[in-house]
Amino acid sequence: MTLSVQDITVRYGGKVAVDHVDLEVADGEVVAVVGESGCGKTSLARALAGLLPGSAEVSGRGVLRSDRHPDLDLGAVEDWRGIRGRRIGIVPQGAMSGLSPIHRVEAQLREMLTVHDGTAEPGDLLERVGLTARELHSYSHQLSGGQRQRVAIALALAGDPDLLIADEPTTGLDAVMQGKVLGLIASLGISTLIVSHDMAGLLPYADRFAVMYAGRLAEVVPVTSLHQGRHHPYTAGLLAATPSTDRTVTWASISGSAPPLDDLPEGCRFAPRCPVAADECRTTVPDLRVVGDGAVACHRVEVATDVGYPAVPRAAGTCGDPVLTMSGIQHTYRSRSRTTTALNGVDLTVGRGEIIGLVGESGSGKSTLARIALGLIRPSQGAVTLGKDEVTGSRGRRLRAVQRRVGFIHQDPYDSLHPGMKVAALIAEPLVIAKVPRGEHDGKIRSALAAAGLPESLLGRYPGQLSGGQRQRVSIARALVNDPELLVADEASSMLDVSTRGGIATTLRSVATERGLAVVFVTHDMGEAIQSCDRIVVLRHGRVVEAGACGTISSSPEHEYTAQLLAASHH
Amino acid sequence: MSAIQTSAPDTSLGRPGRVTYLGGRVAEYVVVLFVAVTLNFLLPRALPGGPLKLFGSPEALARLTAEERAQIATEYGFGDPVHVQFFAYLRSVVTLDLGTSLSDGRTVTEAIGEALPWTLLLVGTSIVCTTLIGIALGVIGGLRRSEGKGAGTLIGAIVVDSIPQFWLAMVLIVWFGVKWQVAPTFGATGPDGVTVTGLAQHLVLPVATLTITGIGYIFLYTRSSMLNVLTSEPVQHAHARGIPRGRLVRRHVLRPALLPVHTLIMLDIGFLAAGAIVVETVFAYPGLGRLTFGAIAARDYPLMQGTFLVLTLMVVLMNLLADLTYPLLDPRTRTGGES
Amino acid sequence: MSAATVPEAGARPRRRDLLGRQGRAGAALLALIVGTAAYGFFFLPDGAGKTREAVPYEAPSGAHPLGTDDLGRDLLDQLLVGAGTSLTLAFLVAAVTTVLAAILGGMAGIGPRWLSATIMRGIDVMLVLPELVLFILVATFLGQSFGIRAAILALILWPAPARVLRAAVLTSWSRAHFEAARAMGAGHAWLLARHASYLIGPLLVPVFVRTAMRAIVYDATLSFLGLGDPTVPSWGTTLYWVQVNGVFLSDAWLWWAGPPGLAITLTVVALALVGTSIEDRLNPNLQESR
Repeated sequence: MTLSVQDITVRYGGKVAVDHVDLEVADGEVVAVVGESGCGKTSLARALAGLLPGSAEVSGRGVLRSDRHPDLDLGAVEDWRGIRGRRIGIVPQGAMSGLSPIHRVEAQLREMLTVHDGTAEPGDLLERVGLTARELHSYSHQLSGGQRQRVAIALALAGDPDLLIADEPTTGLDAVMQGKVLGLIASLGISTLIVSHDMAGLLPYADRFAVMYAGRLAEVVPVTSLHQGRHHPYTAGLLAATPSTDRTVTWASISGSAPPLDDLPEGCRFAPRCPVAADECRTTVPDLRVVGDGAVACHRVEVATDVGYPAVPRAAGTCGDPVLTMSGIQHTYRSRSRTTTALNGVDLTVGRGEIIGLVGESGSGKSTLARIALGLIRPSQGAVTLGKDEVTGSRGRRLRAVQRRVGFIHQDPYDSLHPGMKVAALIAEPLVIAKVPRGEHDGKIRSALAAAGLPESLLGRYPGQLSGGQRQRVSIARALVNDPELLVADEASSMLDVSTRGGIATTLRSVATERGLAVVFVTHDMGEAIQSCDRIVVLRHGRVVEAGACGTISSSPEHEYTAQLLAASHH
Repeated sequence: MSAIQTSAPDTSLGRPGRVTYLGGRVAEYVVVLFVAVTLNFLLPRALPGGPLKLFGSPEALARLTAEERAQIATEYGFGDPVHVQFFAYLRSVVTLDLGTSLSDGRTVTEAIGEALPWTLLLVGTSIVCTTLIGIALGVIGGLRRSEGKGAGTLIGAIVVDSIPQFWLAMVLIVWFGVKWQVAPTFGATGPDGVTVTGLAQHLVLPVATLTITGIGYIFLYTRSSMLNVLTSEPVQHAHARGIPRGRLVRRHVLRPALLPVHTLIMLDIGFLAAGAIVVETVFAYPGLGRLTFGAIAARDYPLMQGTFLVLTLMVVLMNLLADLTYPLLDPRTRTGGES
Repeated sequence: MSAATVPEAGARPRRRDLLGRQGRAGAALLALIVGTAAYGFFFLPDGAGKTREAVPYEAPSGAHPLGTDDLGRDLLDQLLVGAGTSLTLAFLVAAVTTVLAAILGGMAGIGPRWLSATIMRGIDVMLVLPELVLFILVATFLGQSFGIRAAILALILWPAPARVLRAAVLTSWSRAHFEAARAMGAGHAWLLARHASYLIGPLLVPVFVRTAMRAIVYDATLSFLGLGDPTVPSWGTTLYWVQVNGVFLSDAWLWWAGPPGLAITLTVVALALVGTSIEDRLNPNLQESR
């Protein structure tokens, strides 16, 4: 047993972020701590490495064992020198931007070797993470995201640690690269703790999962028994909420959102969102008890075999007249140093009641295409028409009039809502801009609010008081309020917790069906597109690689790249 | 004199750290310089009263006869069409034949040549002092601030930065020059000509004035830059990887933190010659600043144009130098690379 | 993932505290100085500080707490009236400069490319010219009245803040809620009034404050060099007479040159405290270490 900790508790002021958590990592085992944002997983990992800010109080016991070093009592550590980097290797969150910008890779590796008395050679370390000695002489800015992540892992290996802690090691990487990096970490043969929000993505690589919810352990389970036996409803929910690229597997969402730390419910903290919760769950805290190969903290684990989470509805199969037509779109970005072709001859048509999935990795041009459809970017070539009106040819007042018939849901729920405006004012903004008479505002706002699935009690709140999912629903309500013909959702759920993504897709489907909206759904997640769209357009390097119905693409992709994307997000 | 700016501003002509096309940058500077030179040509001519009025005091002007006026006009080419004057001016700029000073008969090149070394001595010494002290304090201040201490030094820096230069010069003269008589308050050399001790003694008060009033700016800027870097991801990550604090500061914080400070100091050098105008005037230091002020006061128009040209040139040159040296210090701005 | 990113549902968002303790101290000090200036402006007789009231070179006494100058004028009166002159000029210049910088910086940020390029090159050229020298030059030739001094200062001081504001405009224009509003078909006017004001508004305060600081010091410097209006009492003018009369050699220096110098320093400190704290608060990098 490399690591064994008991009763770890982390408090920020009065708020308990991690609540009496026990955790073990066996020799060579890869344990994944998973959960949504705010569940305490990062606080737990940082507590283990002594990286919490001074304002945090940590209590609990922990031992780090190894056959090369004496046992280390983690609870008694005052000075982390000689421990971090040497006994515990850290791959910090956001390693993409975390390498030293002014030192070559070799110098950074040498520094770690010197500081932590490592015996390896920098070149060997790089080879171990799948890079070559060529990268030794590179600076961070000359490397790709995946390469940087690998260098960060090599740096963590330099001190030959007993335990590796990797905090969200795939953030910012494309799907294909995510799998490669996780595969690399799992193949190192070191006892590893991976912290991640993406449980499904870790299935092929982790040996055991510790599922956290609202600061507590919900379940600890070996990956082998994950698809059999009884589990915590939250675990089942996390898996069901991850969109599969297989159309026969339904996609579900967990209603509501994780509770804030200063307003935790009594009893089981998951009870308010749990479809099988009973009275007992709302009063008594469930203990973690052995169930099969793992341990589950749930009163209802016996009945929780088939938890009925709401499924994301499929297309009704009707598709009306074309609303948006884009033809021969070509766009190049010019900067002083170079010109980049973002789009190269793309055609796209979206009809009434239809959801089109625009799928591609970063740099594929999907966001540029969405912005061209919105009239935010004027393409270098090509024509865009909305209904009978040309978007590309219009300027000024005429363009703005066309834009008012399109709703836009921005990727970033935190930045896309003006922080100083209340929800009511935010949703009313398109009406004010379009000079809709005041008298009509109230009715339109209420109807949009209902369509977006928000209670009217939120109208008086500021965005800062809402959860990410609620914010994104405010964005949807705002996009719907002026009865648009077209909705453009740019990675609308990519920054949300997995449990709420399906909910957003459900809402989009219902407005497409009920209001006859044409929807452009931009995403990097193939599974999400297959589950929620009618047709899919796969973009790569500014060209359409493949386009077709979801079912066809999912079962028999024609292009090799589509197959790659499918494989990368296959869970 | 300089305004404090604690959040790292963009001080150079363009964007520092994006020097991918040095040729393009140089061309940009040439354009800026050309416009500045043109302005320099136009400014005195655009001022009310016409160029002739700029000759000497109004009283002296009133005494000039019509022939004398005509003669001056011909001699200085004021009667020519503007474009002819402009080309003549450009030629004089390029050949450094800037005409003759109206107040003392020396050629402008000569007058500037005599004054420039003094300014360089004064400005150079104070830049060294300001930079060393300011950066050292700023680094310490940034480190202390990141530990939640050091509010006092910040207030101190703000106060020091707020003292008007000319007033500080007066205070120094009163206490050190008049009361205690420890340092000379006038000129650059003593009665026995150019001696090392004489030079040093005469530098004490002016350099002290420039240094004290300049430290606050550098301090605040360095401190802010330190804080930016200390909270940056690469440094946080290096900390997480177990790099000890001392090494962290030396290897991972100092260089990136001092990069913007380097640019700032280069630009400061360019402006300090102009900024020394007050100090040189108060201490009667025979440098470029005093020469400029004298030229303006005496309405010595050729000398004025000459000193302006030199002052502007210094700013542009230091800007260019800052841009050229930046990539040597920051690998991110070098294109390509070895890989 | 850390507790900090958990949205505080139910909690009222805190009002934006842009000043902080240090900034509030600065604001209080500034209020005190403005109050003093107002007293000098409203309650002192018209000729205060300009007319002979006692024997020249009188040491401080009950009747004249700061003594008198070489013409027997009361130095305290000069200080109080001077406060009005210096502050009025500083605030006037700061207001005009801020507006100029906002308009030109804003146009450079969101205007058509040619306009932006023209303004930016103009700023480049302006920033190469030494401010103080330019100021001295223009003051020498255009005269030294209050209005001209203020106008020159405003015209010389706008480029640096304009560039800061342009950068701010560009940054805020790339914010998601701007993009969302633009996609709604919002025009520039709406974006400015509803969205940019929230982000850029607070930035105008440091711009105003910093310009006021520089204006006070520049104007005092100019007056000290003899390029001010010697008939109107101001802090710089008083110091000019100190220099002219060679007061260095006597103890009169202490009450003659000391107070106006300290007054300038204190005013600039007060302004700097306000400006620095707001800038600190608007700089996200410094938030974490708070």
